[in-house]
Amino acid sequence: MSVPLTLLGLLEREPSHGYDLKRDYDAFFGRGKPLPFGQVYSTLSRLARDGKVVISDVAPGSGPDRKRYVITDVGATEVEQWLTQPVDPEPHLQTVLFAKVVLALMLDRPAAEYLDTQRSAHLHRMRELTEIKRAGNLVDALLADHGLYHLEADLRWIEMTGARLDALRKEVRP
Amino acid sequence: MIRFGLRLALAGGREALTRLLVIAAAVAIGSGLLLTTLAGVNAVDAQLTRYASIYPQASTAGAADPLWWSTRDDFFHGKPILRIDVAATGPSAPTPTGIPATPGPGEFYVSPALRELFAAQPADQLADRYPGRDLGTVGPSGLTSPDTLLAIVGGTPDSVGKLPNSRQVDTIDDKPALPETTVNLILGVIAGGLLFPVLIFIGTATRLSAARREQRFAAMRLVGATPRQISTVAAVEAAVAAVAGTAVGFGLFYAFREPLAGIPFTGMPFFPGDMSLGLLNILLVALGVPAGAALAAQISLRKVRISPLGVTRRVTPRAPRAYRLIPMVLGVAVLVFALGYRPETSDGQTAVFLPGLLLIMAGLVFAGPWLTMVGARVMARYANRPATLIAARRLADNPKAGFRAISGIMLALFVTSVAVGVITTIVDERGPAPIGSTDAGTVTTVFDEKTTSVPDTLFAELHAITGVRSATAIREAPDINTGGEGGMIACADLPSAYGRCAQGAVVIEVPTGLSRWEESASSTTEWRAASITLDELQRLPVSSVVVGTDGSAAAIERVRTVLEVAFPTFWVGPNVPGDFESDFADTLRGWEQLANVIIIASLALGGCSLAVSVIGGLTERRRPFSLLRLSGAPVRVLRRVVALESAVPMLAVAALAIGMGLLAAHLFLRAQMGYTLVAPQPGFYVIVVVGLVACLGVIASTMPLLERVTGPETARSE
Amino acid sequence: MSVVLEARDVTFSFGQTPALRGASVAVEAGEILAVMGPSGSGKSTLLHCLAGILVPSSGEVLFDGARVDAMPETQRSSLRRDRFGFVFQFGQLVPELTAVENVALPLLLSGVHRKQALPRAGAWFARLGLDGLEQRRSGELSGGQAQRVALARGLVAEPQVLFADEPTGALDSLTGEHVMDLLVSAAREQGTTVILVTHEARIAAYADREVMVRDGRVNAPDRIAS
Repeated sequence: MSVPLTLLGLLEREPSHGYDLKRDYDAFFGRGKPLPFGQVYSTLSRLARDGKVVISDVAPGSGPDRKRYVITDVGATEVEQWLTQPVDPEPHLQTVLFAKVVLALMLDRPAAEYLDTQRSAHLHRMRELTEIKRAGNLVDALLADHGLYHLEADLRWIEMTGARLDALRKEVRP
Repeated sequence: MIRFGLRLALAGGREALTRLLVIAAAVAIGSGLLLTTLAGVNAVDAQLTRYASIYPQASTAGAADPLWWSTRDDFFHGKPILRIDVAATGPSAPTPTGIPATPGPGEFYVSPALRELFAAQPADQLADRYPGRDLGTVGPSGLTSPDTLLAIVGGTPDSVGKLPNSRQVDTIDDKPALPETTVNLILGVIAGGLLFPVLIFIGTATRLSAARREQRFAAMRLVGATPRQISTVAAVEAAVAAVAGTAVGFGLFYAFREPLAGIPFTGMPFFPGDMSLGLLNILLVALGVPAGAALAAQISLRKVRISPLGVTRRVTPRAPRAYRLIPMVLGVAVLVFALGYRPETSDGQTAVFLPGLLLIMAGLVFAGPWLTMVGARVMARYANRPATLIAARRLADNPKAGFRAISGIMLALFVTSVAVGVITTIVDERGPAPIGSTDAGTVTTVFDEKTTSVPDTLFAELHAITGVRSATAIREAPDINTGGEGGMIACADLPSAYGRCAQGAVVIEVPTGLSRWEESASSTTEWRAASITLDELQRLPVSSVVVGTDGSAAAIERVRTVLEVAFPTFWVGPNVPGDFESDFADTLRGWEQLANVIIIASLALGGCSLAVSVIGGLTERRRPFSLLRLSGAPVRVLRRVVALESAVPMLAVAALAIGMGLLAAHLFLRAQMGYTLVAPQPGFYVIVVVGLVACLGVIASTMPLLERVTGPETARSE
Repeated sequence: MSVVLEARDVTFSFGQTPALRGASVAVEAGEILAVMGPSGSGKSTLLHCLAGILVPSSGEVLFDGARVDAMPETQRSSLRRDRFGFVFQFGQLVPELTAVENVALPLLLSGVHRKQALPRAGAWFARLGLDGLEQRRSGELSGGQAQRVALARGLVAEPQVLFADEPTGALDSLTGEHVMDLLVSAAREQGTTVILVTHEARIAAYADREVMVRDGRVNAPDRIAS
């Protein structure tokens, strides 16, 4: 799960304070494991150092919460690339895939297309594994099957999510 | 539960409705036929009762004013006319049935059919036989049939009392004169031949989509319905269909009563009113049929009641074995045995033939599945076309199912072939003389009164008729009761058409009809000399007058009319050979006609049974068939499968049944009468072909269903 | 490689319900193509249009350059009989016939004499591991055996294109994969083009390529460079 990319994505929606980012992150992606404030600010400052975000204005008073962060073109490009590229089809990808879909919806990008691309990548990998299975010995076949079943589970999740994109969009873009 | 059953039956979707309709239709036809049979028995009963009133019993004690009564047979164009001479001896004498008052001398009543003949024919051929005043028409109560030719002629007690057959009557009773049980038995056999296909049809219809229904019932069992509840539901379903069907059956019966009454089952048509139903008959059908259907439904559900997992997997049933041939072979053996051994008494003959015939009938039904299987296996071995292979395999797998639908056809065709074979042969042996022969033109009247002279004016009158070639008075031989030909004439009087005299004979011995019984008249016959002189001959009483004509109907009827008027006290109207026989043959032909009705009806019904089983077979194999079609098998291959599965066994069975029927008829005729079977008339084959075509038509009507059922929709993964 | 079968902008409706709304797909000779999609997406309808079972209301279907959609039913039937083979989900075996007769059926339908057809059909039994089952009826075969017999029937006439509509849909995964393994091997060996309709990714993974059917349209993803 890529916290920096997720935060960048949230920022692409609208310029936000660190506190808002933490709250949104926890609401959509935290799932009972809130992001510590410290990690939010260290990540944001790393992003600012790399030129992916800038601090737009500082409200009067003290504390980090007065800073408003805005995404830069560099940052936006990185988000774009991340969303369009399929993840390497390996098992246990749900969290990443989920983050990407939600962000895509939030940013009004073609989430269905991302899912299709991902499906293709998955299927491609499955074909490779099937070929290994058909050609190789039993041990190879069993290992390949393990990968196949996990990929299949991801694929099913992709299918289900694809079928419910509309509902999800309403959920993340109130 | 009953209401639930009703709802399932009526609102159970299209399939349930179709099944309901098919069962209802089967029951309608069945109950219609049942009603017709019952009404037919009633009609025969009514006919016999009135027949009895035409031949009333002579009174035992001297009643006050008896009625003189004499019933005699007369003929017109080979049809019998009943002539009843009556004379009242006093005011309290009974009146014959069907007329308002007993006619006096010189008065008469005629039946409507005879009146029509009067109007249509020249008077010198028919109406002149009844001189006097026509008082009116005999009502239906005095007639056995609307077609009866009947005249009630008045006379004086003196004249009627001297007529042959005359008797004194004090009541016109209406007790049947013939044993009714015999007729009922015959009707029962015929009804069996007709009802069996109907029962098969009902049975097949209830089996329609039985698998689906059993599945549904099994599902109900699974959710906790008790076996009793299931059987209630099933019984209600069947009873609903049966009640509807029975109602339609009543409608059909009343709609077709008149045309049915017109079929001369007993040689004469019935009055439509005679084909009536008693209250008991109505109750029997109206209550019995639905109850029977409900019972049948319960019986057919025994399997499902055993378990909620009810539906058993389709397995190939055990193949029938060759021992099934035994009864049929035994039956033929019995008939062959009867060729050599003929019991003396008619009871003994019945004891041999009836079991033989019954054995063959039962044997045919019993052997059918085995024969079907053997035939199908041969077909499968040599099949090259896929359709033949599939059809043959299916028949070989389950020959009982394949044969069930056609067993009715088989029985009906066997019964009718026996009947038609026997009837055709008898009619052929004993029918009217061939047209154009001397016999066919010979009118003979046999005298009752012993007159010694025939007036010359009569001969003059006879010779004046166009077409008359000779008129001969034959005198009674003195040795009539001890042998000899029975009659004598002068050699000079013998017309050349009837033979020649022995060398030097003056008086010759001849039969009273100028030809011997069961021999044809021939100019080559040589008659033996009689040992009396011409003078002695003149003193002998005249026993008959033989008139030779050209055989034309007009000449014969004119001669008949002249002879009847000249000699009114005849025993039997002047007749040509074949008059009696054709009367007999007419009755037989009535039965033949009935046989034809049965052939067509049973084949059409068999077609319905077949169609239902075809539909069943199609639904069962809906998926493989439609997938075959998707894979490029043309529909005509599937059509051929259906046609081969139904038509081939049907045609084979028809051929077998007709063959066995004619064989049985032949064996019967040889043993019983010494006749050789005469092949049935072309008409018989035409009827069979018409019936088969009707049957094939019904099967063909399922073809559109085949195309619809195997359409591409079925292939969509269910 | 050359395109052997192609659908161009095909539409088809069941009554008022559109099943295909402009589907296009091209299949190359010798290719194994998986057609995927959720239930009701129109993938079976697409297969039926490609196989000449259904005639599209608009668009073109080309087989070897000939317009299948313009052919009369008899010609399409003989095309299906002689150039195409079929494997369906279940229940395509004629229950009365033995397994070997079922396999020989396409040959018999094309007019091959029984004496030649039965040995040709019999050769497939060893190939698909069905030895000894030649005389069984379909009711006496397990699901996997029945599908392998069906596969033999689909391939016996050496078709150019094999249409497989959810061929493993009624089987458990191990048996299903076994059948797929045999299908792919046999098709590769004969050079048969296969159009495989399935909603299961693991089955589609046996294909060379997949297309998605969604809402009556074909969604062919770009090839992913490995």
